[in-house]
This record gives sequence, C-alpha cells and structure tokens, in this order.
Amino acid sequence: MAKQQQPPAPPPAGGGQPQQQVQQPPAGPPRSWPPVADRVLLGKSIKRLDGPDKAAGRAKYSYDIIRPGMLYGEILGSPHPRARVKAIDLAAAKAVPGVKAAIVIKDPADPAKATINYQGEEVAAVAAITEEAARDAMRLIKVEYEVLQPLATVEQAMSPNAPQAFSSGNVSKVNTSAEGDVEAALKTAAHIVEGVYATQVQTHTSLETHGGIAEWEGDKLTMYVSTQGVNASRDGIADALGIPKPNARVITEYMGGGFGSKLGADVQLVIAAKLAKAAGAPVKIMLDRKHEHLITGNRPSAFAKVKAGVDAQGKFLAWDSETWGTGGAGQGAGFTVPYNVYVFPARRQSHRDVYTNAGPQRAFRAPGHPQACFITETVIDELADRLRMDPLELRMRNVQPEAPNYQWKKYFPIGAEKIGWNRRHPTGDATAGPIKRGLGCAANRWAGGGNRSTRAMCEIQPDGSVTTKISTQDIGTGTRTVIAMIAAETMGLPLNAVTAAIGDTNYPFAPGSGGSITVGSVSPTVRVSAENALKELFTRVAPQLGVTADALEAKGGRIQVKGTPAKGMAWKDACKLLGTTPIQANGEWTQGLSSVGTSGVQFADVEVDIETGVTRVKKIVSVQDCGMIVDKLTAESQMYGGIIMGLGFALFENRILDRNTAKMVNPNMEWYLVPGISDIPVIDITLVDQPDRGVIGLGEPPVISTAAAIANAVSNATGVRIRKLPVTPDTVLAALQQERAGGTL
Amino acid sequence: MPRRKDEPGFSRRSFLKTVGAGGVAAGVLAKAPAVDAQGVNVLGPGPVPVTLNVNGQVHRLEIEPRVTLLDALRTRFNPPMTGVKRVCDRGACGACTMIVDGKTIYACSTLAIEAQGKKIRTVESFTQGTVLHPVQQAFCEKDGLMCGFCTPGFVTATVALLEKTPNPTAEQAKRALDGNICRCGTYVRVLEAALNSGVKRG
Repeated sequence: MAKQQQPPAPPPAGGGQPQQQVQQPPAGPPRSWPPVADRVLLGKSIKRLDGPDKAAGRAKYSYDIIRPGMLYGEILGSPHPRARVKAIDLAAAKAVPGVKAAIVIKDPADPAKATINYQGEEVAAVAAITEEAARDAMRLIKVEYEVLQPLATVEQAMSPNAPQAFSSGNVSKVNTSAEGDVEAALKTAAHIVEGVYATQVQTHTSLETHGGIAEWEGDKLTMYVSTQGVNASRDGIADALGIPKPNARVITEYMGGGFGSKLGADVQLVIAAKLAKAAGAPVKIMLDRKHEHLITGNRPSAFAKVKAGVDAQGKFLAWDSETWGTGGAGQGAGFTVPYNVYVFPARRQSHRDVYTNAGPQRAFRAPGHPQACFITETVIDELADRLRMDPLELRMRNVQPEAPNYQWKKYFPIGAEKIGWNRRHPTGDATAGPIKRGLGCAANRWAGGGNRSTRAMCEIQPDGSVTTKISTQDIGTGTRTVIAMIAAETMGLPLNAVTAAIGDTNYPFAPGSGGSITVGSVSPTVRVSAENALKELFTRVAPQLGVTADALEAKGGRIQVKGTPAKGMAWKDACKLLGTTPIQANGEWTQGLSSVGTSGVQFADVEVDIETGVTRVKKIVSVQDCGMIVDKLTAESQMYGGIIMGLGFALFENRILDRNTAKMVNPNMEWYLVPGISDIPVIDITLVDQPDRGVIGLGEPPVISTAAAIANAVSNATGVRIRKLPVTPDTVLAALQQERAGGTL
Repeated sequence: MPRRKDEPGFSRRSFLKTVGAGGVAAGVLAKAPAVDAQGVNVLGPGPVPVTLNVNGQVHRLEIEPRVTLLDALRTRFNPPMTGVKRVCDRGACGACTMIVDGKTIYACSTLAIEAQGKKIRTVESFTQGTVLHPVQQAFCEKDGLMCGFCTPGFVTATVALLEKTPNPTAEQAKRALDGNICRCGTYVRVLEAALNSGVKRG
C-alpha cells in the first residue's frame, strides 16, 4: 500500500469531541461579528464570485492547464487485484516516438515493494509529448505478474479457508466499546429487535479526476494539483520525494470536486514529479475515470448484527452489536453505533475491520455517519413497529436532551409538519395498485469547528484595493466568496472592492477542506486579519480628522467618526494617506467567532412500485442548523448537494467487485450511477440561522440522514423491512419475496 | 456522424468509412487520404490535416485521426479551448457537451475528423466580451454551480434547449439536461436557471 495515498485523519470528524474545543485564551481584544442589524453582507444571499468564470468556461482547473513544453504522463495500473510483480520491461515503451521518460514504480528486485494489493495499484509510468503516445507506450510496458487469489468480499476475507492476503491478517482484532450492563438490560426489555444491516461501498466520483502538473525549476518544484488541501498535498509530496517542504509549492486556483478523496498527498503528483525530473520537462498526469473509481478512495462498507431492546413505554434500554466492514486493502472501516443522536443507556459495539483486495478507503463526506445513521434509524423504526408506536414519537422519547447543538426535539416536529407526517399509515400502504407511498425520517449530527493554526494576511494598497491572502482552497463550497464577504463587511466596502487570494501554499496556512472545518477556520481568521489591517489604517486617518483611532469606524465605503458620520473621508482618500507603503496585517484564528456542533433532521416521501421494485423519491424535507450563516445562497446549495449525494447512496451507488476476480465491474459513469436531474425530488430545506453561535461548517451534515430516511420510507410504503443499501429494485423485490416466504418483521 | 446525445453509438459503416479498418490502414502514413481495396478513403494512423469550424473561426490542425473533438480543442488548439471538460471520456456525463450543427453532442465520443465541415459551438462562444449569456447569468444568479466542473456542459445543453424551446416546461428541461451529470448536486438550481434564464424567442 502506498503510504502517501493515505489522507490525514479527517479533522474533528466522526462527530466526536473536536480538539478545537481546547483552546488557549486568545491574545488581544475579544472578537465579535457585527450586530445582526448592522450586517450588510453576512447572512445574506450573495452570488459566488467565481460564478461568471465557471459559467463562461474561463476558470482554469489543473486539468485545463498546459505549461510550456509540458509532457503527458500515464500510470500503468495493475489489472490484478492481488499479485506480485516478477519483472518489468520498459524497452518497448521507451521506443515509442515521443516518449521522454519511463519509470518503474513496483520494483521486482525488492519483494517488499513488488506486491499488488488492489486493482489499479501503480506499477510503472511513462511521459510523452502527447497523451496518445503516452497511452501507446503504457500499453507496451511488459509486466510479468504472479497472480494470487484475491479477497473480493468480506465473507471471503473472513472465511477460515481464506489465503492470508495481508501480513497482519485479513481481519483486525476486535475493538469493543461498551457502557452499562447490556445483558441485564435486554432481559428487562418488553420488545427486542434482532437483525443484520448492511451498507455498500460508495466511490467519491469527483468529476475532475485526481492529478495535476509537476514542474521543476532547478531544485524547486511547482505543482498545479486538484486537491482539497494545498498544504497537506505540498507536505506529503515533498516528504515522498525527499525534498525540503519550502522547495515545493502547490497551486489550486480551481478544483473539480473532492468530497474527502483529495485531502492527502496524491501519488499521481509524486510520479509526475519523478517523470518530470527524468524528462527535464513539466509533466501532467490526470487519472482516467476507471482509475478514479479504483484507487482514489471510497466510503467503506458497513455491516452490523444488532440486538436492541425497548421497554413497554418506548424507552430504549439496550443496544448490542457486532459490526464489521471493509475499507479495502489495509484500511479501517470504522463507524459508531448506536448513532449518538439517541440515548441507549446500555450499549455495546464490537467492531472488526476486514481487509480485502480493493482500493483503500478515504475520508468521504461525513465518514462513518451515513452508515451509522442508516443502521440505527432502521433499528429504531423496527422497534417502533414492535411497540406499534409512531416512530417519530419513539424518537422524541429517546433523543439526547436539548442543547445548542442538539436541536432534534425542536426540528422533528417542524419536519413532520412539512412532510405531512399525520397522513403516514402505520405500516404498508394498503391502497390498491402496485404503487405504494411511504414516509420515513432520520436525524444527523456533526462537529465542524475550526483549526486554530489558521492564518491570513490582509493587504490594503494605497489605491484602496484590498486583498486577503490565505492558503485555503474553494472546493465548490463558496470559500472564496465567504472570505471576500467577511473582509468587505469588516471594512465597510462593497464586495467587488475586495479580492480573496487562495489556493497557493505561498499564502498563510489554512487546513485542508475536510471535516466541515473550512468555514470555521477561515472566517474568524479573515475577520481578525481585516480588523488588524483596518486598525492600522485608522491610525493613519485619525490625525487627519483630529480624533483618536478608536473613535473611527469603516462604513459604506468611508472612514468616519463614530456618531458623526459627516466627519470622515472616502475609503480611497484614506488609503492615499498610505503613500507608497501598503498595509500588510496578519491575523490568527481566534475563539469566539465560530462554534462546534450542528444538528438536523430529514424526512422522505417515496413511491415504490412493488411489481418492478423501483423507488421514486417524491420529496425530501430537511431542517438543519449550521450556526451563523455567512452566505445563505451557497449554504442552501450545500444542503441541496448533500441531500442529492445522500439520495445516490440510498438508491443507486454501489461499487461492484466481481466475486471471483475482485475486479470492479462498473468503473465508469454509466454503470456506477450517481443521481441525474430526473432523479431529483422536491427538496424542501429549512436552514436554521443561529447568529449567536458563530460560524460552523455545513459540508457534511446534510448527506448523513437522507439514505436512512428514504429506506425507512420504503419500508413504510411496502410493509417489508429494508435492511441494506442501496435500495435497488432487486433489494426491494427480494425483501418482498422474503416477506411472502415468512416475513421480515 | 458526430455522436448525438440522443442517438448513442455510431454506425459501424460510417466509422469504417471515416477512419479505415485497422488492418487495412496499417502502414499508411500518408497525410493525404489513401484509398483502400474497397475504394474507401483511409486516414492515418499518422497525423492528417483536419479543419474545424469552431465558434465561427476556422482552425487547421495536423492531428492523428484518433484524436477526439474534445481533445483537439483542449490540447491541440492554440490557445487551448478548455471550457468544456473531460470527465467520463465515454459519453456518459455530458461535461464535454458541444453544439454541432444545432445539436448537442458528446465531444469526448466524437472524432475531430468527423466534425469537419460542421459548425461547432462551445461554451466559449456564448459570452459577448465580458457580458455573460442570459443562461450563464441565470446559473450565477440561481447558484446553479458549485465546483463548476460540470457547469460548461450544463450551460451548453441549456443554451441548446432554449434555442429550440424558448419556454420549456420542467419536464422538457429535465429531459434535455438528463445527459449531464453533476456530483456536487446543483440540479435543483440548474433547473431553476434553465426555466428562468430570460431567453425569450419568437
């Protein structure tokens, strides 16, 4: 396994205790956002600043950049999921006209490095003057493999007869966490539900594939990378190449989606840098769609054998579970059940990671949460069926007590009203005909937070222009726009007066865009840097107006005396006082402007055709908070986007491996199905603004509950329990078949 | 025949006619079309002259017949035209959508040599100077774009729809845009943009 492919542990992911909570007391004055009534931009619907460039096709992504003299690199991936490389012959590849470099990655001379653990693992690479020539050469690389029996499924890997494919064993040690006396509590239960629940492997399917350009100038390396974390990318690639980090620079002006798969240092750039060194020219490598599916990460599968008990009044008593899953070759598949939205006084989870010969998992939008949510929310609906109680009522009796980040008790009734929960039939749509209608619901939680190491620099030029420099990246969430909004709001300027310079490791540090921490990291930092810059400008203006600096405010494009707006000067005139020296003010992340912890609920209304098994989602209702909303327009887009990705996880997406060869049978976009425009239901979002809590990220929360709500709605429609994802027609028909054969309840 | 989005696949006959069967074409390096035993013009496999009419301008290239229309624009034009993107590279996602003789096509699954003599339009042609096309404007207003990688394809498909059907119903718009995939999940607002672009004709 290539070490450099591992993403860093997602920052405070997993909804656990975020490290950001533990903070040193901030130096300097306490920071705050302007009062809600005074806000000109914050909390409003602001169009993203890079929209025109994207819509016009002018935005240059790494995939689009062509450097002078640039070569095209191609990586030969192993066709075999488990093998040993015995010999590699590059001679024929090197003889192809236009080929400038060819390198071996899996060195047969070193048995420890010659092992293939998954299909697509990098074996060798070439660079040539055209992509076609590089592909021709790649096909001519002769590789002799010793093909070994692969582990395609968790069942194969867990079988006592399985070959040991991984040095530490095919299955990890059992990791058990428990609280309370589960056995004793289950003995007192009025009702017990037992079942096995499963979720599939989902691939990120970012539209811009992984890769970029590596360009040497002496011992300095500049890279244009499709990444979610310019700094982690730079550091990891520099380490892999054994060069000092300051010698490497990563630039990411635009990037075409990541969803967690682009947080680490990508091996494609390490290989491109090696080829570029060998060829003496810049090299671009962008993966093809097949390898994007195979090797750039996925959401691990999850399996849970659950026994849960409830008392006669509908209070949860105990949850006992054995869980397992596969994150592919050597990677974990962790998730925490019961999902800790609900209180199970006694609970136990014994988990094992199962290793298979498949591409290693990576962080994927809310790692562990959609799986844990689906398993827990399905069990809860089953408990409600046993109790003959409304599943919403059962949830209301067992959710965590209310807190600013635990608002489910408030949100469930709002969502129920919007979906029309009162028309829900107890179970199984009894109306005539094959089309059955049903409702379901589920809750979510996420931490978010901010990275305290985040820094920014705000520049005010003598001509009045303002630039905020920060090495974050806009992965489609609208980060660039948020930065400009905050700087403009702080300086009382129109949005177009401010530039956000991002996506370059030469700018001050910001973390990778993972764990929904970007907005919580950059917003406070940009605010502080802008305030610091403004304060310095005030000291230049104050003597001109015959007041002290603290008597001034920046408002409506002017610097003026508080309470006496007529006494002041235009922003441009104030900046002229700088002469030839711009202001450059640094800012550090500071407490008090952001917070941690979001909560939300989702409801689904579905139609299921019990003759074909096809599910159509009619409507999704979502009630969600994310602290103080910065840009309402792009926050809403996060909601829509998360729900739509959740819909794909619910109904369509499934990485399918051939059970004999462990090769992926759908590494493309016509058989690996992500939702299209005709699959989109009515989506009703209620974004709850919490202006007093400060900024919290929203990237992950909306993806978590959609699949659980949809699956519960399908069960409600059909009257048979759906215990696995995705809810494809065959899953529905098999559940109906099982019901006829003796029941799923 | 360029590959139309509503007619997947090209005919074997037209394919053979245009590029020549592999065995027959082997060894033919002439830049000018050769003639094989069946009297069919054979191009390649080496570079051949290709003339493309893109956004009203004539571009003359020397490229191998196997180069797709998408790759010709993205990597062989000077300066490169990279508005349209390569995503699935097999006609499944629509990120490479262009308008050829008034019809949307998947440029990743169309050879450049097939597109000769046709009027090719790309996302780059919609903007007048710095003024966005009403469709592009609507995508920005409605936030029908996030990472933006699929956006040029969606914009192009929407322009093509509205030129034929100025006031589409939601169902018509969905049908026209069903050949395009977005992973960020912008569909709700793409649909709003398509239905509210302010393009009115006839």
